[in-house]
Amino acid sequence: MGNLLSLKDVQLYYDHVYALKGVSIDVNEGETVALIGANGAGKSSILRAITGLKGIRSGSIRYDGQSIDKAGPDVIVRMGISMVPEGRRVFPLMSVRDNLLMGAFTRTDKAEIRQSLEMVLARFPRLKERYTQAAGTMSGGEQQMLVIGRALMARPRLLLLDEPSLGIAPKLVQDIARSIVAINREDKVSVLLVEQNSRMALRISQRAYAIATGKVALSGNSAELLEDSRVKDLYLGGEV
Amino acid sequence: MEQVVVNGLYLGAQYALIALGLTLIFALMNVLNFAHGQMYVLGGFVTYTIYGQMKLPFVLALVCSGLTLAVVGAFCEKFLFRPVIRRSKRDESTMLLAAAIAFLLDAVILLLFGEKQRGVPKIINGVFLSDTIVMPYDRIVVGVVAIVMIATFVLYMQYSKTGRAMRALAQDRVAAQLMGVNVERYSMIGFALGAMLAGVVGGLLVTITGISSGIGGPISIKAFMMVMIGGAGVVGGAIAGGFILGMMESVGLTVLREFGDITYLVIFVCLMVFLSIRPNGLMGKPWG
Ligand SMILES: Nc1ncnc2c1ncn2[C@@H]1O[C@H](COP(=O)(O)OP(=O)(O)O)[C@@H](O)[C@H]1O
Ligand SMILES: [Mg+2]
Repeated sequence: MGNLLSLKDVQLYYDHVYALKGVSIDVNEGETVALIGANGAGKSSILRAITGLKGIRSGSIRYDGQSIDKAGPDVIVRMGISMVPEGRRVFPLMSVRDNLLMGAFTRTDKAEIRQSLEMVLARFPRLKERYTQAAGTMSGGEQQMLVIGRALMARPRLLLLDEPSLGIAPKLVQDIARSIVAINREDKVSVLLVEQNSRMALRISQRAYAIATGKVALSGNSAELLEDSRVKDLYLGGEV
Repeated sequence: MEQVVVNGLYLGAQYALIALGLTLIFALMNVLNFAHGQMYVLGGFVTYTIYGQMKLPFVLALVCSGLTLAVVGAFCEKFLFRPVIRRSKRDESTMLLAAAIAFLLDAVILLLFGEKQRGVPKIINGVFLSDTIVMPYDRIVVGVVAIVMIATFVLYMQYSKTGRAMRALAQDRVAAQLMGVNVERYSMIGFALGAMLAGVVGGLLVTITGISSGIGGPISIKAFMMVMIGGAGVVGGAIAGGFILGMMESVGLTVLREFGDITYLVIFVCLMVFLSIRPNGLMGKPWG
């Protein structure tokens, strides 16, 4: 199991205010790794740093043996990292089909794109029913499926998911969790999952990091963290 | 009656093309291109020079008008708007820049072509006559070319990969970036395309109404009106706005003629009332 992604001592600032003050995390080939933590802890900032949406102040980000901390988002997607951003962000006026095709923007082989499209529609049959509908008119759960499918259309090696369960009906959260497991196991995509729904995240991941005020507060095996009293108090309290 | 409709359609098609360029630039970059009318004028003078002065084929002149403005548009985006947008988060900065480009182009056009109204030989002679309609053939040709270009533009935006990327960029900039769309590259393509449309309409209309250095400003104002009627940043809105303004002008010039030159006064009043009821225009949503 080789190392796929490695952040070392990453610091990130918005203007003069820090969001990350020295974060180190690793994702190995084939793993699902969870990032849990309260609102404002810096989880999204970690994903923004990886995808190049936001430049880092210091530290290093390596992916597949290469330094990527100076690369822009369009370069990073082409290297095999896809991100499902927080708040879904479908292209609201475009059809489901066009949204999915945008996911394959970096690819050129039409036959292979068609193949990926079939795979995504098989994974999320609901999208097939809504194929020509404008994405903005769908329910939150359907939109979440769409943005995950859209990210898969780039054929990533590493999928970054930012709070896929946020604002989704509880019944659908289960479906989404199952899809993430399937994507990891069947499609052989490594996953870095950001979640405030810590219980779900710890159940479907192998390892996890708890982020607090821009730092890694705790890390370890997900199954063990689920039983850890500190995690129970801080992150699992009150949730079912 | 039929005459008024046909005139309105002919005029509306030209206007819609102008408005499409303006709305494209706005949707992609959030820039109000105050220099749009000047770009139209420049396009007119390019066709005037190549077709009117050098006597080369009109089609070649029209293509050159489009290409010249595409280059001017790409240049403006890359060397003027891009650095300003990078340094300043305030919308006023790009507005001032656009206004400055408008003045600059006005001055350059005046310097190169003088202040006289310029015309070119008719592209086709003759007039179509029926019981109810009188329409010179050259107007028919120009109108049809404009409608074909509108259709091509819409199809291009809807079905090409570049068009899809531009729509994506307009609807969600961050998500588009995450798909691998290079924002700078596509902003440049969009600006070039928008300016090109203005240039082509200038090249088309110089054969009908001629061109003069002073009309850039008024054309920009008309373009803004159309975009406001339809809703900023929406393709369908720009087309609707163009045809509505064309039709209003056509009706106004016929119906209100006996009261003197008050068509635009009435149009402005209508627009103000309309915008106070629907401030976002007919289709006021981001891009469609
Ligand atoms: N665009 C931004 N500008 C300024 N501050 C920001 C911005 N985005 C996030 N922050 C701040 O950075 C910190 C971390 O935010 P974020 O990474 O979004 O946390 P999380 O995803 O864990 O909720 C928070 O204090 C937040 O207020
Ligand atoms: Mg977040």
